[in-house]
Amino acid sequence: MKKALILLGCPESPSQTPMAVYAAQKLAKMDYDVTVASTPSASKLLEVSDPDECYIKNKVDIESTLDALNEGTYDLLIGFVHKDAAASYFVTFYHILQCESIALVFEKDFELLQEFENIVKENTDAKIVAVRAFHNPTPLKVKFDRVLESL
Amino acid sequence: MSFCLETYLQQSDDYEVLLSKAGFKDCAKVIKEKSDEVIYINAGEKILGARIIGIPPIPIGVNENKGTIIISYTKPCHGTAAIELPVEENEIEKIRKIAIKN
Repeated sequence: MKKALILLGCPESPSQTPMAVYAAQKLAKMDYDVTVASTPSASKLLEVSDPDECYIKNKVDIESTLDALNEGTYDLLIGFVHKDAAASYFVTFYHILQCESIALVFEKDFELLQEFENIVKENTDAKIVAVRAFHNPTPLKVKFDRVLESL
Repeated sequence: MSFCLETYLQQSDDYEVLLSKAGFKDCAKVIKEKSDEVIYINAGEKILGARIIGIPPIPIGVNENKGTIIISYTKPCHGTAAIELPVEENEIEKIRKIAIKN
């Protein structure tokens, strides 16, 4: 079974948690063993959203995961990039894992969106989903589905 | 027991935060400005036991006379900080060994 890592950033963007649950179930249906790496606060949001762990079976702490990460640990990396720090984390995880990757870049400010997209584009070969989004995850979901079809 | 950067930052007061809650680019600029020597490393390399997060090539500042290094330190919700902290000489040698070769 292939292994996928979903990398969450700071949970202050409302689109992140529902999209994480959505991405986890989509990948599980594609026979991926899915793990979600996040901060404790982002993990709490997932716990409340999915109390019986129907969709997200494995949750790990982002810092300890990064410490123990090696090339080949996962086959697919999906990262939420909606802050400068999230872009740095995604690029770092990408460089360590050296695996197929998808960056979900979203921001309500167009200039910041372009800045984060450029960071990912210039420093990785990841597939990029970039949309202006904050409260509404639907544009992200639609484009994410399209990228998944190309895997 | 291995050195833990996070614990060190919580329990010590001999380091200086040169910039905090900033973007990676701004911290990289401060590191280059405030250092006698700059060593570049890849994202995810370990310094003082902690993986360095950022956009490669990541600058690490070295002020050998002061016995300090300046590193970027990133947290998901708090952005990136540039931190100058004292290190042993052998730690600087370890950084040179993981430097990106030109």
